[in-house]
Amino acid sequence: MKVRYLAAALLVAMLAVAASTASGGTSRSHATKIVVWLQNDAQNGWPEAVALANRNFKAQHPDVDVDVQYQSWGTHLTKFDAGLAGGDAPDVIELGNTEMTKYMAAGAFKTLSQSAFPNNKTWLQGLKNSCQYNGKLYGVPYYAGARAVIYRKDQYAKAGIKSTPKSLSQFLADGRKLMKKYGKDGGYSAVYFPGKYWYAAMSFVYDYGGQIAVRTGGKWKGTLNSPQALTALNQVKTLFKQLTRASRTGDEANPQQSLVFAKGKVGSFIGNGWEWPYALDEKVGNPALAPVVGAYPMPSHLKGRYMPTFIGGSDLGIPVTTKNQSLAADWIKAFTSTAAESEIAKAGNIANTTKLLSFNASNPKLAPFARAAKYSWFVPTSPNWVNVENANVLQNMLVKIATGRASVKAAASSASSQITRILNTGA
Amino acid sequence: MASVAESEFLIASRRRRFSRRRLGHAAAPYALLAPAAAVIGVILAYPLYLLVKMSFQKYGISSLISHKGKWIGTANYASIFHDAEFWHVVLRTVLFTAVCVSLTMVLGTAIALLLLQIGRVMRVALTTALVLVWAVPVIVAVDVWRWMVDYEFGVANWTLAKLHVGNFVRHDWFANPWTGLGVFAALIVWGAIPFVTITVYAALAQVPQELLEAAAIDGARPWAIFREVTLPLLKPIFVILTSLSIIWDFQVFQQIWVMLDARPASDYYTMAIYAFHQSFQISEYGLGAAIAVVMVAFMFVATLVYLRQMLRTGEVH
Repeated sequence: MKVRYLAAALLVAMLAVAASTASGGTSRSHATKIVVWLQNDAQNGWPEAVALANRNFKAQHPDVDVDVQYQSWGTHLTKFDAGLAGGDAPDVIELGNTEMTKYMAAGAFKTLSQSAFPNNKTWLQGLKNSCQYNGKLYGVPYYAGARAVIYRKDQYAKAGIKSTPKSLSQFLADGRKLMKKYGKDGGYSAVYFPGKYWYAAMSFVYDYGGQIAVRTGGKWKGTLNSPQALTALNQVKTLFKQLTRASRTGDEANPQQSLVFAKGKVGSFIGNGWEWPYALDEKVGNPALAPVVGAYPMPSHLKGRYMPTFIGGSDLGIPVTTKNQSLAADWIKAFTSTAAESEIAKAGNIANTTKLLSFNASNPKLAPFARAAKYSWFVPTSPNWVNVENANVLQNMLVKIATGRASVKAAASSASSQITRILNTGA
Repeated sequence: MASVAESEFLIASRRRRFSRRRLGHAAAPYALLAPAAAVIGVILAYPLYLLVKMSFQKYGISSLISHKGKWIGTANYASIFHDAEFWHVVLRTVLFTAVCVSLTMVLGTAIALLLLQIGRVMRVALTTALVLVWAVPVIVAVDVWRWMVDYEFGVANWTLAKLHVGNFVRHDWFANPWTGLGVFAALIVWGAIPFVTITVYAALAQVPQELLEAAAIDGARPWAIFREVTLPLLKPIFVILTSLSIIWDFQVFQQIWVMLDARPASDYYTMAIYAFHQSFQISEYGLGAAIAVVMVAFMFVATLVYLRQMLRTGEVH
């Protein structure tokens, strides 16, 4: 009996040792797999670009598989933190351009040599800036996006709107016309604008000359309670009250606003370029709407100008924990090649290189977004900024305004002091 | 000579064997406890030690990568104790726990008493329903409830609108934190009732029938019988169930986290969410650890009551 147990235990131990040395051996000598984290926008919007990159990478490294794992914006940083701590972060990760600084400052990425990557001389300057920290490059620009108003031409015409609005007051007046025509249906929104949609709401603030925060004498100060910002937020409140029946506690991604639009009870929404084709998607959207959908840049309160749009975008980085740096770099090269970037642009984005800008301008589905990008704003450039995003400071403020739980002034003042506190932590 | 030597050897060896056996007797309990102790040490004590250590450190993203924090003494604790939001969160968590536990205990006991009164068929049906509720994984339950209270397509809004009890078309349950937390309380109580009901029902079955009959003959009304006879007999069970419920409800996290898309507004922060938020969303792992340690201290008190009752119950038997 005893002998048998002993033998069994010995066998298990030997197998365990053999297994661990076997797995240790492969990962050290040559990798058989690299792990890539992309946001699910790529999965929904431009899967062809990902497939193209994987094919080209595979041609170069036939014995290495690419495991692309799609992440959502709400949770990817938490998972990334856990990966960094445990040493099993992915080999390539996509981060939003507002998320980069914190991680570059913390030393989470390998430094990269710019000349190794395609189109590196013609990268979009804004995106390139978000990849650099203290003069070193830690990321490769992936794509940028600008937002514009995506609307139903047929509903505009039936509501008696002759041409797209040229000023914010006209935009709001047109919205009221739409509500008059279609609003009897309790589910209809002239402008679908969920309560937590801070990218769109902050555009109002920058349009009126306000800012989220300013830096003076090395210290940040939240400025959402400035008179300009308050005027802007009151306009947002008007929009919440009169033109939208979107959830006042929801955001633009849950449910996907373009898919709500596809259901037909929405006159317009402020969306990214890729959200237009996504609304018409055969599987999840409504292709029948194709002839009646259009887009125009969101008008400013100053007649004839556009409202500044948030220049969002993403970069690709290689976490310090990877053992496959050169493979990771090769995959990034394949994914940011001119061919792959053309696919990304086709899906409604601004490619990472100025070489492809004419591509956008010549495409009627992309041109309004390219025009909208003429005026833009960006978040305060502090390594702590992403903590403001993650603490939902702006979202909470907007929900309070949208639901009327606090006055615009009270909500904005409380958000401002939180922003001041977070941006100055550790500084 | 030989025999003397032999007998001496025998005595010695017997003594040795004897003492060895005694030693074995003394060591056996420890040997048997060792695996459990080792498991608890590895999965509980060591992480707890790390947590406490981290709560005295400044621990951000770069510490995460280098696995090294900076010692800052009690600064994290000072910071949370001076943070008004922290005290709001504590108050919210305590009230929320109190409401959930009271409702769970009262409703759970009421259903258990009901089980005693109804016929076999109904009892089996009700018990089956309770077990099914108990068996539903939390995440699945949250998804079901999420659809029920959905802003646009929820059956709750639909039903209330059909009943004409108010304007519930596109009613946002989470716009007002009171109704929002009400939804969570309902979800948590719903999920916790089966355990309480089934346990109390089992305990009720053990209450000697003679005592109840004697009380009835003495002219006690049902409520008085329950209060004066059943309740004192079941007190140990109630203490254990209540302290367990407190422990569970105090650390509520998944329900709120999943229902609100991992981005709950600050009105919905419980201590567990607040600790997670400080750690993983703000990357202030030291602060998050300090909050977690305070939470552990709170729970420890609840656990003490539970342990005391457990030990007492053990002594009686």
